[in-house]
Amino acid sequence: MTRSGPRRLLLVLLVLLTALALIGPWLPLSSPTERIAAPFQPPGAGHLLGTDFLGRDVLARTAHGGRTLLLQALAATALGSAVGLLIGTLAGLARRGPLTWLLRLVDGVAAVPGLLVVLLTAAGSPGSDLAVLVAVTLVSVPFSVRVIGTATARLTELGYVRTALARGDGRLDVARRDILPNIAREAWAEAGLRFIAATQLCATAGFLGLGAPAPEANWGRLVRENAAGAAAQPWATLAPAFLLVLLALGTTLLADRLTAPARPQHPPQRTPS
Amino acid sequence: MTHFLLVRVGTALATMALLSAALFLATDALPGDAAGTAAGADATAGERAELRERLGLDRPVVERYLAWLGDSLTGDLGRSAAAGRPVGEMLASRFGSSVLLVATAVACIAVAATVLGLLAGLRSGRPVDRLVSSGTVTLLALPEFLLATALLAVFAHGAGLLPAVSLIPLGDSPWQHPQALVLPVASLFLAGVGIATRLLRAAVATAAESPAVEQARLSGERGPRLAWSYVLPAAAPAVQGLAVTTAGLLGGSLVVETLFNYPGVGSELARAVAYRDTAVVQGFGLALAGTALLVLLLGDLVSGLLDVRSRSASATGLRGERRLR
Repeated sequence: MTRSGPRRLLLVLLVLLTALALIGPWLPLSSPTERIAAPFQPPGAGHLLGTDFLGRDVLARTAHGGRTLLLQALAATALGSAVGLLIGTLAGLARRGPLTWLLRLVDGVAAVPGLLVVLLTAAGSPGSDLAVLVAVTLVSVPFSVRVIGTATARLTELGYVRTALARGDGRLDVARRDILPNIAREAWAEAGLRFIAATQLCATAGFLGLGAPAPEANWGRLVRENAAGAAAQPWATLAPAFLLVLLALGTTLLADRLTAPARPQHPPQRTPS
Repeated sequence: MTHFLLVRVGTALATMALLSAALFLATDALPGDAAGTAAGADATAGERAELRERLGLDRPVVERYLAWLGDSLTGDLGRSAAAGRPVGEMLASRFGSSVLLVATAVACIAVAATVLGLLAGLRSGRPVDRLVSSGTVTLLALPEFLLATALLAVFAHGAGLLPAVSLIPLGDSPWQHPQALVLPVASLFLAGVGIATRLLRAAVATAAESPAVEQARLSGERGPRLAWSYVLPAAAPAVQGLAVTTAGLLGGSLVVETLFNYPGVGSELARAVAYRDTAVVQGFGLALAGTALLVLLLGDLVSGLLDVRSRSASATGLRGERRLR
């Protein structure tokens, strides 16, 4: 569908963005919490992107604002995928019993708006980045379990899996040796989708003021803080917003390309009778 | 059909039980509980213990959860620590505003998604389809708060056309101040129209391949009539997609209401979370989650009823993509 050129460019941009977000706090910039000039100053010497609503350096705050977000999203994706793989394969292998009921319940939970779950689970420990991480993981798990469970259930009826189970191999062994290698593609694609959702949720959590409290920089919070002065000093809002858009669109398009070849674009034609 | 109904309602109830337990655990049983907050930072251990006893926090978690659930089900949601008013009363005064906001957005989304979904689905693979599909992917990728902030910056702060904050006098319904509704509704519309169009486009593309539609096309039906009379009924189960979108918008309303200071359930819930107003968090959270589950259940049932293929069949394959085996 698309040539590999744009895709490679996108990948390079994303890698650059991730690297910048991760090393941002170590860059030799001014302090992200120190007031250096009047509020909402336009870009100038000493503050290349101007100042924010309290007169702090926008460039420094933007550089500091991405690491927590990315690490939260990555950790939530990794944790959620690991739990999803474990429960999903075991539930997919079970033909009856509590695990099949679990899959139904997971269906119901996955339908509840993720943002609501994040807000309510993070409500217990305000001001904690860890609570946001746990909450986003909780949202992510049901989706992983469902996708992995479905993929596993498709394989369960196949001869070699039945043979392995009939031979008396443990469920975990079967999952590891016979199932995992065959659902790796789906698992990776699913992890990609979970990462996109996790990034959005973590950014929104920052926007709503969950996670580490106020002076801490966070792209979501930066957008919120400076939106009121967007007419006077657009850079304070645009810089973090642009990075978030780049991250969101980049990962989405990349995941779209990754998952697209796996299934046909059109439903298969019916055979003429 | 009865089996299908029982399973769906049972799942919804079990999900609600699970969610309410998680909500209760997260807000009530974690360290730094309500007693610590209510007693203040410099309370002695004795004062805290006394307060815990008075609030009933020394009883086992399960017992307190069941008592809370019983109270909630009978309509007693407790009292807000910050406002001093009963939570049920606060909920009643704000629920209508949120319903108005979300319902208006959903109505707009339903119309737009139907038109765009038909346009794209009936011309799958052609330029209009690619245009609609890239548009929906873009909207899907962007978090609600960015879309809402962009609208706010352009129309309220930039052009000054619309109010940035929904200033609605106490006691008035937002309905009486339509200019306060425009930006919140537009934000929710943009947040939901992507996913709804995508789901409908998929349903239309599948329906367009069905023998019934092919037959109609061969007998000379075309254009809007073909779309309206033949394709849309075949794609009707996509109403479930609209239910999923609506449930998602209930989550999105948290962000949009907070940003525009709209006097609804979401903004009050976000505020209560920030101030640790436990009773409000529990009551409002329960109400929002319950509404989301109810909407999804209704969407499921309506879509099951509308699905021509399964009218005679039992519970098989009603939710094709959700079915696990």
